Amino acid sequence: MLIWFLPVFLFLLMIGLPVVFGLLLAPGALLVLDGSERDLAILYRNLYNGIDSFPLMALPFFMLAGEIMNRGGITIRLVEFSQAIMGHLRGGLAQVNILSSILFAGLSGSAVADTSALGSTLIPAMEKNGYTRRFAAAITAASSVIGPIIPPSGIMIIYAYVMGESVAALFLAGIVPGILVGVGLMVMVRVMADRYDLPPAERVVIANQSISGVEYWTSLVLIRATFGFFLFRIIGGVAGMFGDGANQTVNLALYAACVVSVDLLLRQYRRAVSKDFRLTCKKAVAPLLTPVIILGGILGGFMTPTEASVIAVVYALFVSFFVLGSMKVSDLSGLFARSALASSAVLLLVGAAVSFKTVVALSGAPQILAEFILSLSENPLILLLLINLLLFVVGMFLDAGPAIIILGPILGPIFVDLGVHPVHFAIIMSVNLTVGLATPPMGLVLFVAASVSREKVETISKAILPFLAVEVVVIFLITYFPAISMTIPRLTGFVQ
Amino acid sequence: MALLTGLLWPMERLNDALLAIGRALALTALMIMVAFIVYQILMRLFFDAPNWTEEGARFLMLWMTGLIAPLAYRQGGFVAIDMLERALPRVLAATLGLVLLLAAMVVIWTCASLGWDNVNSFTGRGSSASLRLPLDWFGGERMKFKNSWSFASLFVGFCLLFLVNLELILRQIIALFGGADHLKPLEDAGPID
Repeated sequence: MLIWFLPVFLFLLMIGLPVVFGLLLAPGALLVLDGSERDLAILYRNLYNGIDSFPLMALPFFMLAGEIMNRGGITIRLVEFSQAIMGHLRGGLAQVNILSSILFAGLSGSAVADTSALGSTLIPAMEKNGYTRRFAAAITAASSVIGPIIPPSGIMIIYAYVMGESVAALFLAGIVPGILVGVGLMVMVRVMADRYDLPPAERVVIANQSISGVEYWTSLVLIRATFGFFLFRIIGGVAGMFGDGANQTVNLALYAACVVSVDLLLRQYRRAVSKDFRLTCKKAVAPLLTPVIILGGILGGFMTPTEASVIAVVYALFVSFFVLGSMKVSDLSGLFARSALASSAVLLLVGAAVSFKTVVALSGAPQILAEFILSLSENPLILLLLINLLLFVVGMFLDAGPAIIILGPILGPIFVDLGVHPVHFAIIMSVNLTVGLATPPMGLVLFVAASVSREKVETISKAILPFLAVEVVVIFLITYFPAISMTIPRLTGFVQ
Repeated sequence: MALLTGLLWPMERLNDALLAIGRALALTALMIMVAFIVYQILMRLFFDAPNWTEEGARFLMLWMTGLIAPLAYRQGGFVAIDMLERALPRVLAATLGLVLLLAAMVVIWTCASLGWDNVNSFTGRGSSASLRLPLDWFGGERMKFKNSWSFASLFVGFCLLFLVNLELILRQIIALFGGADHLKPLEDAGPID
C-alpha cells in the first residue's frame, strides 16, 4: 500500500499542490488508508525535528548575508571590478557578466538573487553598448546558475542536511565545477563574438574613481593581511611549522614577514597600473573577501558552516555600515524580515522532506526503484546519463531546492550502492538541477531575467540555447570525471 | 457575493494584524539568533563555549518559521507547479484551485491537531537540558525551559496557516463566481515593505 505514496505525491505535485503540502499529504493519506493512523504523529515529529537543526541554520544566515551584500552597493563594485579586469576581451560586457556571476556566487547562494542583482545593472549597460536585449538577458540568466554551484550554496546546505553529508565537503566540491561552467560560457561568448560580430570591446575603467578614507585603509590592510596569510600558510606548510611543537613567536614573525613582502609586491604592481584601475580593485576588496572568510573559517577548522554563515552576516553588516557607509539602521528590519520570510518557506519544506524521507525508507520504494533502474542497465555510466536526463527535465519544472529534497533520498542511496561517491552524486544533482533553472519552458531564472529585462520569456529561451549547450557539456564532464569535483575535498581531507 | 466579501473583510483584517505581529517577532528572532551565535563564537575563542546558545538559536529559528511562514504562504511563496492551473479555462482553473486549497486545509488541520497533541505530550512537559530563563537577573530564580515552549512554535504556525488558508479559500470562492477583480492582490497585501 505504502508504495503508492510516490505516484500519489507526483500526481498532487502535477496538479499544483504546494510541494510542502504534497510531501505531507501523500504519505499521510496512505498511512491513514493503511490503518496506521498512529504513525501520523511520527510524521509530525519528524517535520518538527527536521527544522530543529543547527546545521540547517546556515540557510537563513547565508540568505541574510546575501540580502545585506545586495543592498549595500556591493553588486556595482563587483561589476566595475569585472569590467576593469575583462572588459577589453572580445565580447567584453558579456564576459564581464560571466565574471561578475562567478564573483557574486562567492557571496550569494542563489541563482535568482544573482539574476536580479546583476541583471538590473548589466542588462541596461549591455544594451547601451550595442548588444541586443535578448542576448544580454540570456547571458545573465545562463551565468547566474553558477551562483548555487560555487559556495556558499543554499541547495548544498539543504542536500547535506537531508542526506547527512558534510556541508564543507560539498562546498569545496562545488568550486571547480562552478568555475568550469563560467569558463565554458566565456569560451562560447568568444566564439559567438566572431560569428555574430558582437560590439567591439574596450577596457572600461570608470574614470575619476573616488574612495572614502575608511574604505581605502580597510581594503589596504585587509588585502595585505589576507595575501600575507596565504603566503604564511604555504611557506609554513612546506617547512612543516604547524605541528604540535609549533613556536608561536617564530610563526608570528614569519607572518609579519609575509605581510611585508606582500606589501612590497603590491607597491611594485601599483606603479604598473592607472590610479582609477587601482581604486576600482581596491573597492572590490571588501566584498570579495567574503568567500575567503567563509571558506577559510570552515577549512581552517575555526568554525562550523553555520558559524561561518553568521560571520558572513556580521562581516556584510560591518562592510555595509562602516566601510562603504551604504546602509542605514532603518534598512535593517526590512532586510531581516525578507530573509526570515524566504527562509521560513524553505525550512518548512526541509522539515516536510525529512518526514517524507522516513516514509520513503519504510515503503521499500528505493529497493523497487533500484531494481527497476538496474533492469535498464547495470552500467553506472549509462545510468548516470539517464539520471542526467531525468534531473534536467525535473529542473525545468521545479526549483532546485524542492527538487533536490524530493529526489535526493530516493536516488542517492541507489547510486551510492553502485559505487558513485555520495559527494560526487550531490554535485551531479546540484549542477544538473541548477542548470534546469535556466532551461525553457519553466526555468525560474528565465522568468526573473524576463522581468528584469522586460523581454519575453520565449525570446530569451531561444537566445539562451547555445549557452545551455555549453552547460550540458559541463554537466557531462562533471558526471564522468569525478576528479573535477572530488579533487579539492580530497586534498583538503574533507573526503576520504 | 456581498455575503462572501462581507465574510472576507474581517478575515483579511485579522490576518493583516496577526501576520504583522508575526513578522515583527520573526525578524527579531532572526536578529537574536545572529547575536547568540556571535556570542558563542567569541566566547569559544576567548573563554569557554556556552552550552545554551545553539539550543537557544534553534528555539528562535523554530519560532521564526512558525511566525512568518504563514505570511510567505499568503504571498504565494510556497513553491508549486501551477502549469495545469494556468492552462485550464477560468472556471475549471478556479475549481481546481479550490480543490487544492481544500487539500491543503486537510494537511494544515491535521498538523495543527498533531501539533497540539505534541505540545501536551509527555516530552512536552519535560525540560530542556541547557536552556534556562535568566529570571535571576531580576531577583527571581532561574527557570527551566519547558520543551512544550519550543513545540508550540509549529502549532502556532499551523494555526496561522489555517487562518490564511481560510482567507484564501474565501477568495477562491469569490473568484469562482467571477469576483476576482474585486480582490486586492496578495503579493502586496499585508505587512511587507
